[in-house]
Amino acid sequence: MIQEDEIKSKIDLDLWGRIFRYALSHKRLLIPLAASATVLAVIDTFFPIATKWAIDVIQGSGVIKDLIPVGVFYLSLSAGLAFCVFVFIHCAGGISHHIAHDIKRDCFKRLQELEFAFYDKQPTGWLISRLTADCDRLSRILAWGFLDVLWGCLYVLAMSVAMLLLNWKLALIVLATLPVLVALSLFFQRRMLFTSRQIRKHNARITASYGEGIAGVKTTKTLGREVENLGEFEGMSTDMYQASVRRAFLSAIYLPLVMLVGSLGSGLALWYGGVNLLQEAISLGTLVAFISYAGNLFQPINQIAMILAEIQGAQAAGERVMSLLATKPEIVDSPEVLEKIANHQALQSKQPIRRTLHSLAEAKQGQPNPLSPAPTLANDGHPNRIDEIQFKDVTFSYNQKETVLKNFNLRVKRGQTIALVGPSGGGKSTIVSLVSRFYEPTGGGVLIDGIDYRQRSLAWLQSQLGIVLQTPHLFNGTVLENIRYGRLDATPEEIREAANLVNAHDFVMNLEDGYDTVIGEGGARLSTGERQLISFARALLADPQIFIMDEATSSIDTETEKLIQDGMQRVFEGRISFVIAHRLSTIRSADQILVIKQGEIEEQGTHQELLARRGHYYELYTNQFRNEGVNRAMEAG
Amino acid sequence: MLQEKPTPASKGSGLPLIWPLTNGFRALYAWAAGALFLTTLFQFLIPLIGSATIDFVLTSEKTEQSPLLTLIIDFLGGPETVRANLWIPAIAMAVFAALGGLFNYSQKLSAAKASDGICKRLKDQLYDHIQRLSNRYLDQAQTGDLVQRCTSDIETTRIFLAAHVVEIGRSIILVIAALPIMLSLHVGLTAVSMALIPFIVAYSYFYIKQVKHVFTEVDEAEGRLTAVVQENITGIRVVRAFNRHDFEIEKFSTPNREYRETSIRLIRLMSWFWSISDIACLVQIGAALFAGAYLALQGSISVGTLFAFLALLNLVLWPVRMIGRILTDLGKTTVALGRINEILTQPFETQADEVSITPDRPAVGRIAVRDVTFSHADTPTLQDISLEVEPGETLAILGPSGAGKTTLMHLLLRFYDCDSGRIELDGQDICSLDRAYLRAQFGVVLQEPFLFSRSIRHNIAFGASTASEADIERAARVACIHETIQNFSEGYETEIGERGITLSGGQRQRLAISRALLGEPPILLLDDALSAVDNETESAIIKALQDRRGKQTTIVIAHRLSTLSHADKIVVLEGGRITQHGTHQSLTKEEGLYQRLWNIQTQLEAALAEPEEANRL
Repeated sequence: MIQEDEIKSKIDLDLWGRIFRYALSHKRLLIPLAASATVLAVIDTFFPIATKWAIDVIQGSGVIKDLIPVGVFYLSLSAGLAFCVFVFIHCAGGISHHIAHDIKRDCFKRLQELEFAFYDKQPTGWLISRLTADCDRLSRILAWGFLDVLWGCLYVLAMSVAMLLLNWKLALIVLATLPVLVALSLFFQRRMLFTSRQIRKHNARITASYGEGIAGVKTTKTLGREVENLGEFEGMSTDMYQASVRRAFLSAIYLPLVMLVGSLGSGLALWYGGVNLLQEAISLGTLVAFISYAGNLFQPINQIAMILAEIQGAQAAGERVMSLLATKPEIVDSPEVLEKIANHQALQSKQPIRRTLHSLAEAKQGQPNPLSPAPTLANDGHPNRIDEIQFKDVTFSYNQKETVLKNFNLRVKRGQTIALVGPSGGGKSTIVSLVSRFYEPTGGGVLIDGIDYRQRSLAWLQSQLGIVLQTPHLFNGTVLENIRYGRLDATPEEIREAANLVNAHDFVMNLEDGYDTVIGEGGARLSTGERQLISFARALLADPQIFIMDEATSSIDTETEKLIQDGMQRVFEGRISFVIAHRLSTIRSADQILVIKQGEIEEQGTHQELLARRGHYYELYTNQFRNEGVNRAMEAG
Repeated sequence: MLQEKPTPASKGSGLPLIWPLTNGFRALYAWAAGALFLTTLFQFLIPLIGSATIDFVLTSEKTEQSPLLTLIIDFLGGPETVRANLWIPAIAMAVFAALGGLFNYSQKLSAAKASDGICKRLKDQLYDHIQRLSNRYLDQAQTGDLVQRCTSDIETTRIFLAAHVVEIGRSIILVIAALPIMLSLHVGLTAVSMALIPFIVAYSYFYIKQVKHVFTEVDEAEGRLTAVVQENITGIRVVRAFNRHDFEIEKFSTPNREYRETSIRLIRLMSWFWSISDIACLVQIGAALFAGAYLALQGSISVGTLFAFLALLNLVLWPVRMIGRILTDLGKTTVALGRINEILTQPFETQADEVSITPDRPAVGRIAVRDVTFSHADTPTLQDISLEVEPGETLAILGPSGAGKTTLMHLLLRFYDCDSGRIELDGQDICSLDRAYLRAQFGVVLQEPFLFSRSIRHNIAFGASTASEADIERAARVACIHETIQNFSEGYETEIGERGITLSGGQRQRLAISRALLGEPPILLLDDALSAVDNETESAIIKALQDRRGKQTTIVIAHRLSTLSHADKIVVLEGGRITQHGTHQSLTKEEGLYQRLWNIQTQLEAALAEPEEANRL
């Protein structure tokens, strides 16, 4: 998504100060950059002096030998300039990419810490462009803007000093054009930036229009809307054309105007300087130098104005990035919990030898069991084992207004499976998100063996979860890497075993390179069902005490569903499981079925009990049964 | 892929394609070139005034005077007048600067009008062309690839036209204008002043060409970084579910670092490039300065001439040195233009010489399919299909996926033409009818309805922009979506798609149904249009559609018996052939797919009547 923002009229110095701190940490490059900008400004000022010197030699002594020092001077200026150019490109480019790297690193880190509530509010595309386009833009402006402003100011200053030293009256006349140049540049650069932005905006609309036109071409044809579509498109391309011509119009006026002011300066210098020359108050060389200076003044002014306009334009990007960095995660361990974790760690580190020995022993066995008993204590010093999860009067709302869950009560014991059914938006997903502590209850509490989970370690709880989502998101990489995501230190044998338990092993072995098959972006080379099997194995590998299946079987074929169904029976053994589903087979075997409607438990019981009640569950069930029967007959047909 | 299949018409590729594009804009370009030439002349005159003043007024040496400078001083009123009134050259400078500025303005504006105008026309052509391409082409083309051509290839062309053409033109004109002036001042000095320019251009061309691959590497590194970010953010729920942030941060740090390293490598190469190119230019100016000074000392040129040379050289040198860089980009433009042209040379769906009839009244809605056979990409999808639908009747088509149901519908709409057999509308072969007329007779809901990112109102009225408020609401009511829309905070004005709300599958289908109903076309085609709608809503929609029975011919493709059973005729399509046809009554008695489905339903109902049985389900 392309987000354009208005140009801020004021430059927020505090904001840019904070952003500039990123540059300050690269002093190794920043200092040579500043030095080269300074030297460059001085060298640029000396070039007309070299010409003046040469002319004065011709006019004065007229001896060729006297030109030699001028030549040496000129050549050393050239060498100096080239060196400065080399240094500043090197340093400014370097700083810019270092800053981009650092800001991106910090933003990325922060994004990993923020909770689901944050992601609910921000569209994915928006976040991606914060992390890419905004960061790149800021870093570029920071490095090159710093260089240009420094060089521009010093160059104007150096030229002024040189002119004042040569002839202060003539200098004042030439410098009189300076305010005009500044005013013109500021006026036009801002407007040009603004139209450039509009062009980009129109361009984005055109791109979107092409995308839609191509993807929806069949619909357009059935509705016979080709002519109107083209008319709308032409409206957009005309807008873009007009904005482009307007941009050209502005720059077509701006540059000649600035040049005109420059020529006026040169003319004034020629006139006043010429009179002086005739009175022999100045030399011809000095006059020529002045004419050059008058013509050169606009360059640095133009650069500075351009950068200032860009800074104004990028301010919104700066604000967005800085506010992202300033966003603090809301669900974190409380200070008490942090203290407990620290205490526990201190206790653990007192027995380092035992731990090493233990893991050595494990390694010697060669094939550690993936379902090996976990340590008895969690990292916060409480027992690691979870025997019961209880929702106690839980109330939850996403935005204070709509209550999604009202006084919800539920007790689940180890080894039980809870199926959640009901209409979408009823609160099923909220319940499992609350179990996972991706959100926290706004009222009441979730208790783990009697202790509110806000008094337990967040990292510990979440490492006890195994979650399979409706759309199995896989990462680009091999099958092995994707399953290993569940437990990073798992051995290939353990991974195979997990895959076997969920019936994924057979299909993986049929892939081209087995477990080493690269599955493409988002797992594009696999079917949805195959992806789901892998994500199931991934969840199992973590050996979680709490297993969550969130609509995991809703978008896959019957064949795979059977495999998953079969795996579930084995996997759920000895764990606390929550299943959101609408496939009958998945629901039927649960210990408890909860029909959730509008944030409340509408019906609760086993399959038989609920069917006998002939209520909501009965209705849902029979509908689903009919649909599944039809689908099966079709697939067979 | 598209580029593997060049059509005979797309043989022309690359830069020769530019010339026809400029058609209609050539006068503007010519004017821009003329104005540029005048601008350049005025720009050159300004330092020459300085030179003339220096030579004739401010210095009194008797050196060989160039005729050009004599001409200028005479124009200004002669040495004596100028000496007494030094404001004259100052004013002349300003006036010439103003005139030069005026032409400069005109040149830039006309060049922009020409290049942006060409781009606009190209974009419009492309858009128009894509909409009118045949479905066979569109099916085998990839959406992403087409969009890519329409955006980044157009952008490459735009940069070429707006920036590169102008820059190249400017450099050529600068050199053409400067050469005679310099030659008239001093031939030898001209040679010295221009000596390095070809080398500077060649240097920048070959250097950039050499390091081009690093630019590509930077692009690739950036792409990898973006891919990681994208993957992470779209999968953030998985990351959190497995508590893997440290792992992800580690995973991100590698491409982030690599992008930085490659970029810095490119920067290093570019800092060499710019500093060497700068020093070459300065050496060129230095050479002119010292050769000129030497000549001036010898008295063979005046100080004014030297001054003029330096000023002219400064004007010419800096733009010209960019040429080499621009030339390296020409290859990119050639490829982009070729890719755009490949689309533009594809034939339209409707050939220009096609003769077709456009009846002046809407169709009655009698459809006859006679012995139609059709194969898609060499695999037969439909074989010997024959069926008839009377006006106002409802025909239902049932069949497993891949049976050819959607293809049959596409044939009715003439997205494709059948290989043999014919399809008639009101007794007229549809191949003889105007496509626009034919399609206007159908209200269509495609299998995966496409909605546009605009308001709900616009989406319903997409095909009929003149529809009234009441019409839109009526169509929405029939499709049972009116209530839902009313519940959105902005009602019918609610935006959908990227910038608005996301609709559920069922809501999308219902919206598409109301879109198809609007304007009451004689025939309604519903391709699995109720699959994501819940049962209650489905029966309500079917009931509403039945109320219109007799007014509208309806063809329904569906999987659920509940959608089909009310139809006047039912056809079972399996493997591209019609295996059964009849009515609900007759098909339930006949062995086949329909009966099997029916049995499942009745069995369920029977089973549920007995609680004991139900428990075993």
